[in-house]
Amino acid sequence: MLGLLAMWFGVFAPFAILSATRSLVRIRASNGELGGAASATAGLIAGAIGLVVIVAGIGYWILAA
Amino acid sequence: MTRRALLVLVVALVALLTYPGAMLASFATRVTPAPATFRGPAGALPWLHVEHRAGQIPFIADEQGRMVLLHGATPASLLEFGPGNSPAYPLEPSAYENGRCPANKASSKYPPLCQADLAEMARLGFNLMRLPLSWSLLEPQRGSFNRTYLDRVAQIVDWARDQGIYVIVDMHQNGYSNYVGASDSSVDLGQYSGAPPWATITDGFASHVYQKQREVNPAVLEATTNFWYDRSGIQDEYLAALTVIAKRFRDDPVVVGYGIYNEPLIGWGLPPGYEDLLLFPFYRRAIDAITGAHDGLPCWSGFFMPAVCGYRDLGADDTRHLIFLDTGLLREVTDFPTHLPMPVSSYPNVVLALHAYTHFYTIDHLVPNLVSSSSYPWGGYDQSYSQAEHEARSMDAALFVSEFGSPPGDDSRLLASQVVEQDIHRVGFAFWTWKENGSGAWGVYAPPATSTDSSGCLRGNREQLLARAYPRATADTSLTFRYNGVDGSFQLRATGRRGDPPTVVYVPPEVNGSVTVSGGADGSTSDNADGSRIIVATPTGGRFNVYVSSAPPVLATC
Repeated sequence: MLGLLAMWFGVFAPFAILSATRSLVRIRASNGELGGAASATAGLIAGAIGLVVIVAGIGYWILAA
Repeated sequence: MTRRALLVLVVALVALLTYPGAMLASFATRVTPAPATFRGPAGALPWLHVEHRAGQIPFIADEQGRMVLLHGATPASLLEFGPGNSPAYPLEPSAYENGRCPANKASSKYPPLCQADLAEMARLGFNLMRLPLSWSLLEPQRGSFNRTYLDRVAQIVDWARDQGIYVIVDMHQNGYSNYVGASDSSVDLGQYSGAPPWATITDGFASHVYQKQREVNPAVLEATTNFWYDRSGIQDEYLAALTVIAKRFRDDPVVVGYGIYNEPLIGWGLPPGYEDLLLFPFYRRAIDAITGAHDGLPCWSGFFMPAVCGYRDLGADDTRHLIFLDTGLLREVTDFPTHLPMPVSSYPNVVLALHAYTHFYTIDHLVPNLVSSSSYPWGGYDQSYSQAEHEARSMDAALFVSEFGSPPGDDSRLLASQVVEQDIHRVGFAFWTWKENGSGAWGVYAPPATSTDSSGCLRGNREQLLARAYPRATADTSLTFRYNGVDGSFQLRATGRRGDPPTVVYVPPEVNGSVTVSGGADGSTSDNADGSRIIVATPTGGRFNVYVSSAPPVLATC
């Protein structure tokens, strides 16, 4: 959910990446007891896209202006 | 596997509907070939365009590539305000033929616009008029356009042509619509204009004004939001209405361009998403519809279109005119960019239209208990202009002040500060407003003394500040100039090469000082019948100066 929000509001992107990464680590350490790897990966990817977009947007503004 | 595919689909879909999609559509305009532009048939005034040069802010230019400054005002009598919901004055051009002018109505917010007004504008040195229109008068029934209204606009454009004045045809609104209704006495529909009743979808929200601010009204916010989300296809109808205007004036250089939407209100949205995901994509679609630019992805129409969507060519094929894009209303009240300024369109003739109301419609004045005028805007009057230059450069657009103004009592503080900034930043203006009735009127002219007069006297302060000496065209886009309305002096410093087209300076009749052109330019001065002067400085190489010595301005005010 944080990942999807990050694509509207870039401010959520770092939290999405952090949250998804921690979830993936816990899922892998659980030896199969915990599920949701696909959701966490999707959140990570969405957060990363959100972060790239906000960095690119602000970067463009600074450079172009 | 199915779950993974579904997740990928959801992420891709959300990306397409939000910032990634918006940025994709925006930056794609940088690599999309611009629609073929040509100037069109020659007319009474030269075609203007937006010139793009590496390392510079784009600027409005003439056919010789000279930067052109436009000075003017905004007569608002073609707007339909409530609560009567009918035009205050005849729309039929015949009522204004041969210099005739209908009697002013004290019940109307604005006096009628007549042929004599254009001569009065020219007398103040104005070479531009911003002409606001009401969507409610243009398209009173869905899909049915009022040709008489367009004939009336064409009549005014013809008057402007006779006076050498450009016209911005501006699709206007105030508080979304005069059809939002009034749930109680807090709402003065006489302050509202814009959408026709069939495009005003308030969903039963009460029309009540909070904080004495016209726009802080649930019915207005709901109707505005419904517009941005294209409820019932009303945004499509708006684009069709814009195209009807463009089809009418596509071959006329006197119409310098179109204002797409006045002071866009955020509705229930939030910044920066409102501007980046709704407003500026809407502007892109409007440009697509008018020019056939084909930016954005081909999408459906008739209901919500995400930011990535472009719009189909509606057949005007107007690739000659400037497109003026107002910043969001939130930017107006903060004097600060409230979104990520990104390129809007591959169409080159885009102008960012700033509304400069520092210390009047900015938050320090609207909520003085929270923000004091001494601390905000942080950068003073310059903040809005310097930030707007950054925005315009990022958007690859020229900059123009399509509105500024103030109560006459504040001229020495507010108005004087604005015109100084405009000189410093080499930006043209359209003053709000030309003539206005009633107490508290902001017009260049005072309200009429009797209810039937079209106007009162020209206000001395405004004549002194707005009838300015200024460069109308110059090849040096880095020139500096300053007009002092108190002592009538003018100084311009520029650089040129032999063979550059001349710099043309307009000197109003109020200014009587002697003219000197020195340095690397040959100067000549010609006198006009109205007492104004035109200085032509033709570069011979190097720096040159144009001076008008100080002499007390002689005001025409009665």
